[in-house]
This record gives sequence, C-alpha cells and structure tokens, in this order.
Amino acid sequence: MTRDPHSDPKRPTLSRRTFLAGAGGVAASGALGAHLEAAGAEGAQPEPAILRGTVEITLTVNGRARTLQVEPRTTLLSALRDRLELCGTKSVCERGNCGACTVLLDGEPANACLTLAVSAVGRAVTTVEGLGDEGGLSVVQEELCTHDGLMCGFCTPGFAMSLTAVLARDPEASLDRIREGCAGNLCRCGTYPHVFQAGLEAARRLRGGR
Amino acid sequence: MASPRRDGPVWKPRAENQLLAHDLPRVDGPLKVSGRARYSHDVRLPGMLYGRLVCCPVPCAEVAVDLAGALKLPGVEAAVVVHEGTTRTVGQVVAAVAARTVEEAEDGARAVRLSIEELPWAVDREQALAPQAPAVTRRGNRRERGEDGDAEAVARALAESHAVVEATYSLPVQHHVCLETHGCVCDYRGGDEATIYASTQATFGIARDAARVLDIPARNVRTIVHHMGGGFGSKFSLDIHGRVACMLSKECSRPVHLLVDRSTEFHTGGNRSGSRQHLRGGVSAEGELTALEAEAEMFGGVGGGAVARMPYIYSVGRVHARRASVHTHTDSSRAMRAPGHPQASFAMESLVDELATAGGFDQVEFRKRNLADPVYHRQLDRVALEIGWPGHPHRSAPGDAEGIEAVGIGFGVSVWGGGGSADACECEVRIERDGGVTSSMGSQDLGTGVRTYLAAIVAEELGLELSAVEARLGDNRLPKANASGGSVTTGSAAPAIKDAAHEARVAFAEHLAEVLGVDTGSVTFDGGVVRAGKETLSWSAACETLPDEGLRARGVWREHLQASGVHGAQAARVRVDLETGRVRVEKMVCVQDQGLPLNRLALRSQINGGMIQALSYALLEERLIDPDLGLLLSDNLEDYKIAGSLEIPELVAIIDDDDERAAPIGMAEAVVIPGAAAIANAIHNACGVRLRHLPLTPTKVLEGLAARARGEEVR
Repeated sequence: MTRDPHSDPKRPTLSRRTFLAGAGGVAASGALGAHLEAAGAEGAQPEPAILRGTVEITLTVNGRARTLQVEPRTTLLSALRDRLELCGTKSVCERGNCGACTVLLDGEPANACLTLAVSAVGRAVTTVEGLGDEGGLSVVQEELCTHDGLMCGFCTPGFAMSLTAVLARDPEASLDRIREGCAGNLCRCGTYPHVFQAGLEAARRLRGGR
Repeated sequence: MASPRRDGPVWKPRAENQLLAHDLPRVDGPLKVSGRARYSHDVRLPGMLYGRLVCCPVPCAEVAVDLAGALKLPGVEAAVVVHEGTTRTVGQVVAAVAARTVEEAEDGARAVRLSIEELPWAVDREQALAPQAPAVTRRGNRRERGEDGDAEAVARALAESHAVVEATYSLPVQHHVCLETHGCVCDYRGGDEATIYASTQATFGIARDAARVLDIPARNVRTIVHHMGGGFGSKFSLDIHGRVACMLSKECSRPVHLLVDRSTEFHTGGNRSGSRQHLRGGVSAEGELTALEAEAEMFGGVGGGAVARMPYIYSVGRVHARRASVHTHTDSSRAMRAPGHPQASFAMESLVDELATAGGFDQVEFRKRNLADPVYHRQLDRVALEIGWPGHPHRSAPGDAEGIEAVGIGFGVSVWGGGGSADACECEVRIERDGGVTSSMGSQDLGTGVRTYLAAIVAEELGLELSAVEARLGDNRLPKANASGGSVTTGSAAPAIKDAAHEARVAFAEHLAEVLGVDTGSVTFDGGVVRAGKETLSWSAACETLPDEGLRARGVWREHLQASGVHGAQAARVRVDLETGRVRVEKMVCVQDQGLPLNRLALRSQINGGMIQALSYALLEERLIDPDLGLLLSDNLEDYKIAGSLEIPELVAIIDDDDERAAPIGMAEAVVIPGAAAIANAIHNACGVRLRHLPLTPTKVLEGLAARARGEEVR
C-alpha cells in the first residue's frame, strides 16, 4: 500500500480482510465489523503485502465519547496514552505481567496493553483519571495517600484500579482477597503493605464505616 | 536580646515538632494516585516523535547498519546509526528510529538491516575463564582488584580454631527493574535551546552531555524531572538512551520521546553485579570469630562489579581477603541500592550462621558477641523479640526436617554512611504578599519523599500547615542539588532546606519587628498565626506587610544539620514446605536508625521496600543468558520475576528511637542489605538445609533435603 494513512484522517484505509488479518479474531465485534465492511466496499484496492493504515473509532472513556484514529494493532494502552493523552495509565511491561496499565472495561479490570483499542469499542472504559468525581479523589485514592500506598508512584494508578475493582466486587474484602485482587500488579519500591492497609481501610469506609 | 540569626538553625528535639518526626502523607500523593503526575514517559508535545532502539541480536559481532529500509516506511521521520563495527555486550544498541506513532517506530526498528559477522563471546564465568576465551577487556577476563591482610596469620589462626567452615556462596546478576524505563523526551526544535524531560536520579547531571550531542551551549539545556518512576542506582547519566533521543531530535529538529521498552531495559538498563565468594572462617570454643580467608569474584559484565570489604560488619581476629573482577560480554553493572553490600552480607551472614551452628551457639548471642558496636546489640534484641526468637525451639541447632513443614528464623545486620555532601545543595524559600510560600531545590524525588520534606521542614519552621508550603524540585533552573544515590540526599538537602527556612523566619521576624515597632525576639510563628509583641496577626495579614517582591531567603548546607552512619538489624521467619520445597516468608522485622526521622510514614515505606526487595532477590530474581546462543532469556517480567502481592509477608518496620542523634541521616541503602541472608539463614534454621546460592528456589530446597536425608551436604 502506498497511500499515506495520515493524508486523510477521516477515511479508513483498510479492507475488511486486511484488517482482520492484522487484528486476529478480536476485531469481529458487531459495531466495528459493520464499520469496516463499509470501509471495505468504499476502498476497493489491491491487497497490500504489509498491513498498514488507520481506522476511526469511538471509545467511551470515563463517560465521554472520544473519537480517534488507530491502527488495527494499536493497543488500548497506546490509544489512551499516545492518542488521547490520558497518561495516568502506565506502560511498563507491554505483555500483561505488571498491571500498571489496568483499566476497567464495563467495570471489570483489564490490562490495556493486552487489549486492542478496536475491541474496546462499545464498552465503558474507566481509567485512573475517571476515578473519583468532580476532580476529587475516590475513597481508594484517598486511602492510598493516607497510608502512603505509593512511593515512586509509577505502579500506583494500576493498584488504584485493581483495588477499585476488587472492592466493587467484594465490599467485605479481607486482606487475602485484597492481595489476590492486586496479584496482577507489580511494584518495585515495595509499597504493598501500605497498599493493603489502604485497601482494607477503603473497604471499611465504603461499607459505611462499620 | 540575642539575634536569632546569630543562633543559627538547629533541629528541634523530636517531641517538639508539629510535622517533622510525625507521619506525613506525601504532598504529591494526590497527583500520583489520580494519574495527574506527569512522568517523563507521559510528556506529550506538539509534533513529538516516538523513538525505538535497535539492539544487536548477538553479544559480539562486526556490525554494519543499513537504515534505508526504515527511512522508506511511512511515519518514520528520522533514523540514526548509533554504533558500527565491533559490538561487545548482549543487546548493544546499534541504531535507532523515530516515527510519528509507536507502531510506526516499531516497524522502523524492524526494518533496519544489520549485517552481522558473529565473533566468539564469553557471557558467563565458565566461558570467560576457559583457556581459549575471547578477551573481554584488553587486560584480560580476570582482574585482581585488591588484597588485604596476612594469609599466613589467617592460616595459623584457622589451624588453632575450635571449628572451621569452608564454603562457596554465589549470587546471580540482579536487575533494578525500575517501572519507568530509561530514557527521556528531548525537546529540540532547531536553534540553540532544548529541554530534556528525563527519568533520572541526577537533574543536574545530564545537561552537559545533552548539549554536546545537540551541539548547543549547556547553559541552554533545561532539564525537568518532576516525577520519576524509580532509579535504584541505575539512572545517573544521560545514558545511551538519552543520547540517542538527542541524536534523533537533532536529526529532525522535532521533539523525540525515547523511553525504552522492557526488553531493551533488561538488556541495557544496568544491573547489580553477581558474585561468587569462597570463604573459610574459624570460631573459638568461646564463640569468637578467629579468622577469615575470603576470595571474591565480581561479575559486572564489561564493568568491574562490586562487593563490600570482608569481614562485613563483624569483628574477626585475622582476615585475609582478595577481590577480582571476572569480565563477560554483558552490560556493565551499575550502582544498585547499596552497591556490593547485599552480596557481602549474604556471604558473611551465612558464614556467621554456619559457624554459630558448628559451635552450637545461639544465633543472636553469637552475633552480639562478634559485633563491636553496641547499637547492633540492642537492635538484634529488639528484632529477636519481635520475631519470636525467645520462644523459638531451634536457637542453637536447626530443626530436624520431620513432618510436612518446618518453621525457622534467621538474622542479619546492615551498615551504611548516609551523610550528606558538603555544599552540594541550596534551597530558596519565598514568602509572597498573598501568603503563599514556596520551597525550591532542583533535586529529584525518586519516591523517597524529598518533595514532602522540602515542604515540611519549611512549614515546621514557619508554624504552618504542610499544605501551606509548595515544594518545587526536579528542574535545573532551581537552586543546585546533587544526584540522589548512596542515600546522600537527606544529608545533603535537608540541612540546606532547614537553613533556608531558618533564614526566612529570621528575616520575616526582623521585618515584622521593624514594621510593628516590636522586639525581633518577641516575634513567633506557630499554628498559622504570627505573634509580635502584644499583637497577634493571621499569617496572611503578616504577609501583607511585605513589599511587592515578597521575601526571599537562601539556605546552604550546614554540616551540623546532618549526621552520618546508620545501623540496622533484620529478622525473617519462614515456613518451608518439606514436600514441595516451597519457602514462604511469613514475617520480616527491621529495626533501623537514621537520626532524626523527618517523616516516619515515608521511612516505614522505605524500610518495607528494602525488606521486599531483599525477599525478591533471595527467592525469585536471576538474570539468565543462554551461553551458546548469547541470548538474554530473562528479558521480561514473567521470566524475570519480582515479588508480587502474594509473596509479601507480614512486615514490621521499626524506626529506632533509641538513636538520639538530633540530625537526619539517609538510610535507604541500609534496609535492602541483610534480608536475603536472613531468609537463607531462616531456611537453614527451619530444616537444616544450607542454601548458598541465590535464588533460593524450591528445587534447591528439595535437593538440600534429599542430601540431608542421605547424610550428605550440598556445597
């Protein structure tokens, strides 16, 4: 393909076939499939040897619809950080080992580095910037501050998301449950004990201080 | 009445402080927990490109680089050759590209063609010391690094000893694993100015090298380090990653974001050198360490490596020690939290444990007998009590490995300097007419809490809430500061901050005395109000009396406002599964002194962090390189494992308040030192299996148990 994908940012430049070849089966979600079918009909052209080009998608991030250009292979992590400039979600291992990129997809925790941006279409994406309300901190975030559940802070957004998810699922969460909820998150400074304290105290407050 | 200025600044006794020596949640907590803290990784600028490095896939080769294929790809805006000719380390950087998106940069990096003619390499000890080994350095692959003591005196003392233990201990190469990888954003758009947003431990340490690459005056290079995601000793220079960012930015006159991916980080971001130490130690019938013969090899790749001098902390009658570097074709070791100390600690504390066992002594009493400094005696007693040693059944002989699991306890001690560097830091305090207060120093906060005490020391002095003072750091346009390494920051920065705060208070008191016509000595600042003679003013009313430019005070380093020399003791309790060999660390305790504890909460975080990193080193971490293929196998966080939430034991971090020194001392290095040895000693104490080679894996435990059952010992 010789066309410059940047020349017309509104126009998808992929055929359905090349798109699916690049994105694997993940792209075959309803809304997106229809979108690309239209694109394929419009852009009849020889199949390129190397998949290249962008597609316009709309993601719902922290309650707002955000339209952006991504490649089929673009991860949700890159879409958030490099396209939408929501850099609270951190990129650390790029392969689902560390949890620094944890976001919520329809309320469930997910590694944004292992999620294709196109597969997040139609789902509610919550990032660390979307916790709390009116720019204030959520209970989990407040307790992380109070108990010093952070040092360099690079892993902290991921822990905030994992704690939020585990407490939403289990308001009675015990220490062991909190540990399990954070088992996918790595911290090098060694903040874990204070993160656990923050999680337990946040759980207590969220239950109404019982 | 004596002028306060002549009295000079002094730290108040701990109990008299409102903020210092208390638990202070860090001032940048809200920014960090909400994702609003902007790290270098997070800098986004108009027209910014993303850079990717190309590493040579074999350790040693003649390499030629062809950039043409990369430059043809859409989105690729710049490509540079970093190194051609002979490469000499696993993963050496040879080229780089910059493109409009991360994906295009990755395509570009893959499209760089390398012509490689492989050369022989030596990536591990066996290859390096083989007869026909390729030379890693011009001076050979084994270099003697020093010798102390009298070998013959040691031989005589060993011959007369009640018991002698001879053993080899080894530690693998460890990585820093900073979660924010190395690199920077170089904002150069042509002309003769640039801004570098760096993930560095040395805000003032990179402008000159960046200027050289960009060919602009160093005074025109601004460096910003507002937040950084961990260093642990690996981020003191512009480094290859930063230099290449500058090369790419220079090439296309656009900002370039080059913070490396995790694999490149493992290949090029540094490491703690491995070591192999052969020790022979003797003990008298009374339980005194009589002699030590120590031979250490350091594995620092193309670098020298580090191991602290023997005997480590303990007093030994006669000592003869030698050190040598064994070089390999791997990335040079760097400083890593207490360079050389955990290695020496593991060998020394293991040997001490073995000698105590050989003589049938209580592990704690034996240590106290051979530690000259009484600080260690009280600290060991404290951790022993906290971990449950007095009621423990195996205090002078290990458990018998009967049943399905065994519980053991082990100990270790640490030492560090932690004093400040003379005249390395300055601080400026400004009080504005609207009541705003800023405390500024160009230093960097690696997660240690510098930003918090930069505000807290000033707030304490002026009788304000912590939130009333804004701390500014991480900028080479602010007053000077040294690099953060070796636990020197507290001792270097805190005195200058205290001095600036004191100067500001005295100057403000003198100003108010003049304006209000009262005696300077009658002006006090406390609880957010100012008392001057019989008048009481709110802080903001007092500040309104200032001239338009407000008040500025400068502070410099004062020797008497810092101290040096810290001590710590740690204990670990483990549960060993005798059927699977799995070791679960149940509890760790640390007692650590550091003079005046500026912020108890942040200090407990540091102490916990030290114990956790030691646990991780002890049980999990190991760099693995395939010697035949010359490939780094552990270049990601599933093959190079660090401790996660499921491995974390109960941790008890105790600030040693029996240390009555009035001034603060850095202690971050000390707390990482003895934990690995304490865990290995606890495993032995549990089940009689002495593990002398980190990491302490279940396989090694099972081998040890099998050998013990056969009546043998694994060396």
